[in-house]
Formats: sequence, structure tokens, C-alpha cells
Amino acid sequence: MSDKMKNIIDNQKKQQDEPDITNLDDVMQLVGFVVGDEEYTVPILTIQEIIKPIEYTRVPQTPDYVLGVFNLRGSVIPLIDLRMKFGLPSAKQTDEARYIVMKSGDEVAGFVIDRLTEAIRLKKSDIDPAPDTASGEKSIIEGVGKQADRILTILKVDTLLERDF
Amino acid sequence: MDEFQEILQDFLVESFELIEQLDQDLVELENTPEDLELLNRIFRVAHTVKGASSFLNFDILTRLTHHMEDVLNRARKGELVLTPDIMDIVLRSIDMMKAMLHFIRDNGTDEGSDDIEDIVVKLDAITSGEGDSSDTPSEVPPEPEPKTVPVEEEEEEVDYSDMSEGEIEDEIERLLQMRQDEDKARREAKIEAGEAVLDAPQIIEEVVKEEAPAPKEEPEVEVAQTPSPIVEKKPEPSVTKEVAKAPAKSATSVEQTIRVDVRRLDHLMNLIGELVLGKNRLIKINDDVEERYEGEEFLEELNQVVSIVSLVTTDLQIAVMKTRMLPIGKVFNKFPRMIRDLSRELGKKIELEIGGEETELDKSIVEEIGDPLVHIIRNSCDHGVEPVADRIAKGKSETGTIGLKAYNEGNHIVIEITDDGKGLDANVLKDIAISKGVITEKEADNMGDKEAFTLIFRPGFSTAKTVTNVSGRGVGMDVVKTNIEKLNGIIDIDSEINGYTKIKLKIPLTLAIIQALLVGVQEEYYAIPLASVLETVRISTNEVYTVENRSVMRLRDEVLPLVHLADIFEVDRVFDGAEHTYVVVLGLAESKIGVIVDTLVGQEEIVIKSMGEYLKGMDGVAGATIRGDGGVTLIVDVAALMQMAKSLKAKPAIAQAASVAKVREKPSDYYVMIVDDSKTDRSIMKNALKPLGVTLVEAADGLEALNILKSGEHQFDAMLVDIEMPRMDGYSLAGEIKKYNKYKNLPLIAVTSRTTKADRMRGVEVGMVEYITKPYSPEYLMNVVKRNINLTMEA
Repeated sequence: MSDKMKNIIDNQKKQQDEPDITNLDDVMQLVGFVVGDEEYTVPILTIQEIIKPIEYTRVPQTPDYVLGVFNLRGSVIPLIDLRMKFGLPSAKQTDEARYIVMKSGDEVAGFVIDRLTEAIRLKKSDIDPAPDTASGEKSIIEGVGKQADRILTILKVDTLLERDF
Repeated sequence: MDEFQEILQDFLVESFELIEQLDQDLVELENTPEDLELLNRIFRVAHTVKGASSFLNFDILTRLTHHMEDVLNRARKGELVLTPDIMDIVLRSIDMMKAMLHFIRDNGTDEGSDDIEDIVVKLDAITSGEGDSSDTPSEVPPEPEPKTVPVEEEEEEVDYSDMSEGEIEDEIERLLQMRQDEDKARREAKIEAGEAVLDAPQIIEEVVKEEAPAPKEEPEVEVAQTPSPIVEKKPEPSVTKEVAKAPAKSATSVEQTIRVDVRRLDHLMNLIGELVLGKNRLIKINDDVEERYEGEEFLEELNQVVSIVSLVTTDLQIAVMKTRMLPIGKVFNKFPRMIRDLSRELGKKIELEIGGEETELDKSIVEEIGDPLVHIIRNSCDHGVEPVADRIAKGKSETGTIGLKAYNEGNHIVIEITDDGKGLDANVLKDIAISKGVITEKEADNMGDKEAFTLIFRPGFSTAKTVTNVSGRGVGMDVVKTNIEKLNGIIDIDSEINGYTKIKLKIPLTLAIIQALLVGVQEEYYAIPLASVLETVRISTNEVYTVENRSVMRLRDEVLPLVHLADIFEVDRVFDGAEHTYVVVLGLAESKIGVIVDTLVGQEEIVIKSMGEYLKGMDGVAGATIRGDGGVTLIVDVAALMQMAKSLKAKPAIAQAASVAKVREKPSDYYVMIVDDSKTDRSIMKNALKPLGVTLVEAADGLEALNILKSGEHQFDAMLVDIEMPRMDGYSLAGEIKKYNKYKNLPLIAVTSRTTKADRMRGVEVGMVEYITKPYSPEYLMNVVKRNINLTMEA
């Protein structure tokens, strides 16, 4: 009994002792997902919601990666396949596939991803700007986050939501 | 400052309202110069504007209206006959007043607006030039007002300061009397018109209340100007103002209206739109529930609720639509004046006959419809109605008539513009069009008269030999076409040489919530605004001809260009082309086109939703709407579709998709699907087919089987289908599969315990090639499958 109690108190203490990671100003919260073989992240604040795939309607005269439009509680929202947008071959959607609805200003669009991974907290100091080679004018990479064992690609939502056809 | 702004707003709104009626009254006045009631009305407008503008410190406007008032006052008293020349000047001064009001609205001041000296001099000339015998000192000051007039109430007051108190009393008495007479006359008119009469005291009370701020500020000015004691002066301004303001105020208070910001109405309309979509959804769900729980008691209740909600929603929608409606008379009002000016300019005699001005239209449409009408009427005056000499030579009456008529027709409003002028000559139109390079000679040969008439709407087309002030640049009719297209309207022209020209504009009543025809193309659905649908016809595929690489069909005595909706929207042709097909005949502005679709689904009320910045302005798509089943359906942009159709070449009706022949090297390259809801049965079949060594895929019902097939993961060589299955039975499955072109030759083998002859017949009808009855021997099943997939190898 006392062990259990001690554990809880320890945990609470530990959380209190780590204010640097909970201080919102210094931390960026990201949501990670997989498209193809790679993991990407987007800032959590750009995500309006994440839904399971629903039926969509094809819109003619659009590039392949624009799958069409779907009904999100009364709003008509474009649906974009990130696989095709990234130039990967299209694959069958699995049960893990989701639509991530992202927004920037008035612009809203849904993006099809293969599966979600996790929510990540990253110190802002651990985020570097996109490497030079990838920071062309139309770059869709916002920056690169470093974690102990891996590197995270942070996507630029503004660019993703920009019409480029 | 805010208070001033508020007063200014009221002033502008009121002035614009007054002026709207003014033009028409003035033209009418020219025809009946003795109409005192009319003259009084016009005089009061000038007077009201003058009074208010002087209060608001608009010196230039005050000065202009003051001089106008002088002229009108004299006419009112019968001292001046309004000749057309005088009318021209009065009308010009009214134009100037309008311009100045616009200037004030935009800039908040009248300083720096157009120069009025010229017109003031002319107005003065009218007043004084023939006004030597004038002896009306109480109303009209003999000398022109000095430019440095201080801020003061009204012209009359300058005179009052010279009067004795007795005279002032008399004057007030006289004005009051005049006002009471006016009220009385108006009340009588109202009684005649059968309207409710408000008590006179009530009106006066209201007016005094309205004027409350006036006396508050006025006296200070008065004191500075006149030595008379304040007490005596105080009541005066309010009384005089009352006279001035009374006509306008009482007119509005009788109608019991309130002003509402249009944005609020727009918002309300949007909300109703959402409600309509909700209603559609509810109806759809109700239908589904009805099907599933047939005969249950609660259905009755649900039905009632659904129908009440649906009825009330429709009523609500109509009610809100009505709040946005304005009588088209608001637009028509400006035309008498325009015709008058044009006929003087062109030296023709033209009369305008207006009908149906009380017909109501959505505000947004009223705003858009003005320009096209102006262009059409200008055209009728310039090109239609002949000069007097020509008319007499043709044995027509001297005066040409232009008719302007509006009326309702179903969900549309029709505006008809007719003239009894020289009419349109189809051949002349064609020649001009060819010479200007608008059409080719070949096209001209294929054109009927009606089609030739529509040439006048082509950009760059003009029949006028010279460019005049009025028309001839070849843009006017193009404007008509674009604006009417924007409103989803239809233009129809009819004409007879030397007889008449009639242009009919058919415009939907509202733009926000529209009726649409839902059509199916292969597996997709599209909504076409019903306003643009003229008719639908069912034709057999051999009625479609190809002329110069374009598909056309004969529709009664017309040749109708055809386009397949699937080509426009790049729909994959997965279904087999049927023998019969549907053609939706679309009309927009002056052009027509037939659109081939696979199915007609029905009519539904839809609300146009934007697809956001990302997908805005896609060719051929006007927007999207949400259907009863929650799915999104795209709305066809008819204007864009017509443009796209022009650049499309006809394609052979069905492009046979050359299916890539799969190389089969071993038995396991062959795929057979087993569709049965019983796991035991599936196992029996699997065991029976094992010796063949083919790959087997299982599905538990028709729907699952169809999805596996459509996913395209494997190319199947045969299917074993049970008949009795949940969700989708074997017959329906076979029917669905046979719709697809590429599965036309896929062997479907029924495996069932149903053995009657009728069952077998039905199996053949839906395209089953074999019919195996349970129970069967494994060898038999194996042989049937082997035969159907042409398997020659041995495992």
C-alpha cells in the first residue's frame, strides 16, 4: 500500500520537477503520422480534427492527388492524398488510414495518411530550419526536429493548403 | 459626430427614396403639365431635400434645390408652363442633385462636387426671364440668394424676419391649413384605395417627435439672425419643417416597415439553406426507416413529424425569400425618363408601356437586372423603332411603342421587352456576322432564323453602320448576355420583319436555394440547376449523328449539339453503353445544348456551397451541395459547360478498354471467387475445386463480392454465386456486375438449392452461364468451372 502511494507521489513530484518541458512557450507539440515508409509531423495547432475515412466525391479536372471533396458536418472540404502528393505509388487504404483535417486561416483541407503514430512534445531549441537543399521557395518542410534516436520532418501546413495547379 | 452621421444616413436614405419616384413623375408631368397633384409631389421632394440639406450644412446642394424649387413653385402656381425645354433643364438639375447626393454619400460633404453655377443660372433664367409679372413675395425671394448664406433653416424665414408678428401668425395659420388640406386629401385617397387610415393626430404627433432635435439647435441660429424674442420664434421652425417633412414621413409610417441590414437577411438565408439540407436528410432517413421497419406503429408518428418539418421549412424558406424581394418597378422606374431622353436625342417618337411593375424579385437579382434592360431598351430605341418618316411610309403610326412587361411563370420571372419597330432580318444578321468574322458561311447555312437572331448577342457584333452615342459599339448585347448568364437566366428572341422584336428574359426567382435536376453518369451524380433545364428526352443511340466531329441530334425542327457529361467531367466509362440514353436539353441566355447522361435521378432542392479557396473556379463546377444521404454532389456550371463543349471533339460512343491480357502460366494464376453466405458451403466448394489448383477468393455476400471485384486486386476468371444471400442476393449481384463493360464476359455460375424453372429462367436473364443445383458431386462442379475458365493445364 505504502509502496503504491509512494510511487504516485514520486510520479507527481517528477512531473513538478520538469517544468521546462511543460512550459508551453518553449515546447512545440507535434502529431506524427506515416505516409509511405516515412514518418512526418505537423504542429498540433494546425490540426482541426482527425477522422476515419468517409465517402468522398471526385472533382473533375484536378490533379491525381486531389481525391475530391467530402462532407464534414455540413461543410464541403477538399481531400488530398498525401501519398500521391509526395509522388509515391497509391496503395490500398488500410484500416489504420485517417483523414487529418488541417487548417490555416480560412483554408481547410483533409489529407489522407496511412496511419497515425503519436503526439510528440519537442523543445523549440531542438528544431532546426529545413536543410538548405530542401528550403526552395515551394518547400513543404517547415523544419527538422531532433529527438534522441531519430529525426522528425515537420511539414509546412501553409504550403500544403496552397493550391498549386 | 456619431449623431451627425446617423442623421446623415437617414437623410441620404430618404433622399434616394424620394428621387427614385421623381424621374417617373417628371416624365409623366411633361405629358400632363396640368396635373397639380403631381406637381405638388415633385415640389415637395425638392423642398424636403432642400430643408434637410440646409440643416446638414450642404450649402451647394441647398442652393441647387432652392433654385429648382423656385421653378417648380412657379409651375405649381400656374405661372409657368413646363415646355420640353424647361423640362430638360429641370431634369438636368435633378441629375445633378442625384450626382451630388452620391458625392455626399461617398465623401461626407458636398464641397468639391460638380459645379452648379451653369444650371443655377439657367434655372434662374426660367424663374426670372418669364417671371416679371410674378408677385409672390411670401414664397419666392425675388433676388437670387447670396453665396454667403449663413446656416439657416429655410428660405421662408428670411422673409419672416421682415414680417410683423401678425403676419407671421397668419403665415403659420396658412401653412397649417395647407398641411391639413393635404392630409385630408391624402386620407381620402387612402380611403378610396381601401387602405387603413391612421388617425391624423397620431401622424402629427409622430412628426413632431421626429423633429425633436431640430428646435433644440435651431434657436441659437435664429437669435443670431433676428432680433425677435426666442419664445416667439421657437415653435416656428418645427411647424414649418413639419410641412416640409410631412409628406415623406407620413408615407412611410403608414406602411409600417422597418429597415433591416441586408447582411442580416443574407445570414438568415444561409441558415435556412442549412435547414433545407437538414430537411432533405431527414426525408431520406425517413424513407430508409420506413423500408426497414415496415408496418411498425411508430412510423406513422415519424411520418407526421417529418412532413410537418418539411412543410414548415418550405414555408419558412418562402417567407424569408419574400423579405428579400423587391418589386421590379424599382428598376422599371428609370426607363420612362430614359426613353424620353433617347427619343429627343434620336428625333423619334417613342412611347413606353410598362406592365407588371409590382412583380417581385430577389434583391440581388434586381441589382443585376438593371444594366441588361438599359442595353436592350437603348437598342430597341436606336435600331428597333424607325424614324417618324419611315414609320409613316410603312403605314405605321407615327409613335413607336416599346413595351416593358414583367410577370411570374412558375419559379421564374419573365421580363418581356417588345418594340413595334423594323424587326430583325435573319439573312442580314447572318451576312453581317460573316463579314465581321463572327461565324463562317457554313455555320450560317446551318442556322435557323431563331439561331440567327441570337447572333446579336455575340461580342463584337453590331448592326449599326456608324457608332453613335446610343449604340453601335457591339458591347451592349454582350453585357446583356453575360449578366443574364450570371443569373442563370434564359434569353429568347422572336421577331418579324417590320412587325416587332420581342426579347424575353427568364430569370430564376432566387439564387441561394435552387431546384436542381440530379443526373447520373456512370457511378457519379451531378446536379444541374433546373432553371437551365428546358426539357429531357430519351433517345436511342442511333439518333445521334456526327457532323464535323461534333455529335448532334435532331430535336423537332432544330439541330441540337450534343455533349456527353462523361466527356466533360472525364468520367471513366465503366458501364456498358445502353441502347437508350437520356438527353438533358440545357438553355442558358441565348444558347442551347443537349447533354447526354446515363440516368435521371430526380429533382431536389439544393443549396450551393463553396468548395473553398483550394478548389475554387474549377471548370464546369459551380459548387457543391450536400445530399440527403450526406454525400457531396457537384453542381454543374451550365455556362462553363457550354464553353467546354465547344472545344470537345466527339468521341466514339464507347472506347473499348483493351483489357490487358494476363499471362497465365500455372493453374494458380487463375482466380475464382466463391460467393456464399454459408461457411460450410464455401468449404465444400473449396474442397471440390482444390484438385484444379486455381486460386480461390471467398466472399460472404453480394456486396462484399462486388467490392472485391471493384477493388481490382485480382482479375477473376469465374465466379460461383449463391442465390439466397443477405444484403445483396445473387440475382442483384449478377445484374450489378453485368453493368460493367469489362466484366461482360466474366462467367457467373449459380450454385443454389433453388430448382424451379422460374429460378433458372431468372438466372439466365441476369446473365448466369451455368446453373448448378445443390447438392452436386465435387467432380461435376470441378468440370463446370474447368470448362468455363478454359483451363487446359493439369495440376
